[in-house]
Amino acid sequence: MIQVAKTVDSYRFLDGIAKRGIKRWAGLPAEAQIPWTPLAKPLSKCTVSLVSSAAIALKADSPFDPEIERRDPWFADPSYRVLPRTTRTGDIRVCHLHINPSFAEQDLNSILPAERLDELVELGEIGAAAPSNYSYMGYTLRPERLLRESLPGMVRQLREEHVDAVVLVPV
Amino acid sequence: MIPDLTSSAGAPRIAAIEHPFSVTLGRPGDAAGQLAVLRAALRALEAMTEPGGVAHLPFEWTSEEKLALFGPPVAPPIAQYLVRHPWALPKFLNRTPPESDG
Repeated sequence: MIQVAKTVDSYRFLDGIAKRGIKRWAGLPAEAQIPWTPLAKPLSKCTVSLVSSAAIALKADSPFDPEIERRDPWFADPSYRVLPRTTRTGDIRVCHLHINPSFAEQDLNSILPAERLDELVELGEIGAAAPSNYSYMGYTLRPERLLRESLPGMVRQLREEHVDAVVLVPV
Repeated sequence: MIPDLTSSAGAPRIAAIEHPFSVTLGRPGDAAGQLAVLRAALRALEAMTEPGGVAHLPFEWTSEEKLALFGPPVAPPIAQYLVRHPWALPKFLNRTPPESDG
């Protein structure tokens, strides 16, 4: 992989209405207050969890329901799934209707790097990988139910598992 | 991936990566590349001391595949809806969806 000094172009991989819409959304008034918790310990002592907006579900679990979005295209399934740390590519399905799921279905680490997180533990760069990772459907223009119905459960379990830091991975 | 949008949403720390959709950490099977991205993101987390910081990760996506390869095989419902109802485009652009029926 090539590394260079760069400023990321937010719009390089967007075109058409998606590009126009996202540029417009990025210019809307920003959130007034940014939540902030200082990292309380070195990363090498932290327990880290992953949260994916790719609507990843275990095959053994119920899938995210695409019909919710097909019935109301402004909304999507507001639920979330728990993905145990040991979840691997063959264990999951990707239910997001706005991405190409085939990359993750070849290698889940492309969007949820659980094995890479384990490697960082082995290398001593992080303290531990949390017992659980999480996924939800990142597309919705009505986020209220996601925030009200799913977020509390994720936060509760993150606290129960003593997670120090979360990597929220978009797709 | 879209640090401009993530910043406007008030994320406390952002590690920006210039990768196509669907392959945030990198290509399937590129374990070394994925590890490098994750490591850089976590090191950025540790280094940031002010809310709203953005670290632009130094990884270059060099291939020339068409954008469509990284998009869904079928246009998503909102795209199909806007084709059939172009008058709804302002609501989409302003992020002001119509009231829900249910």
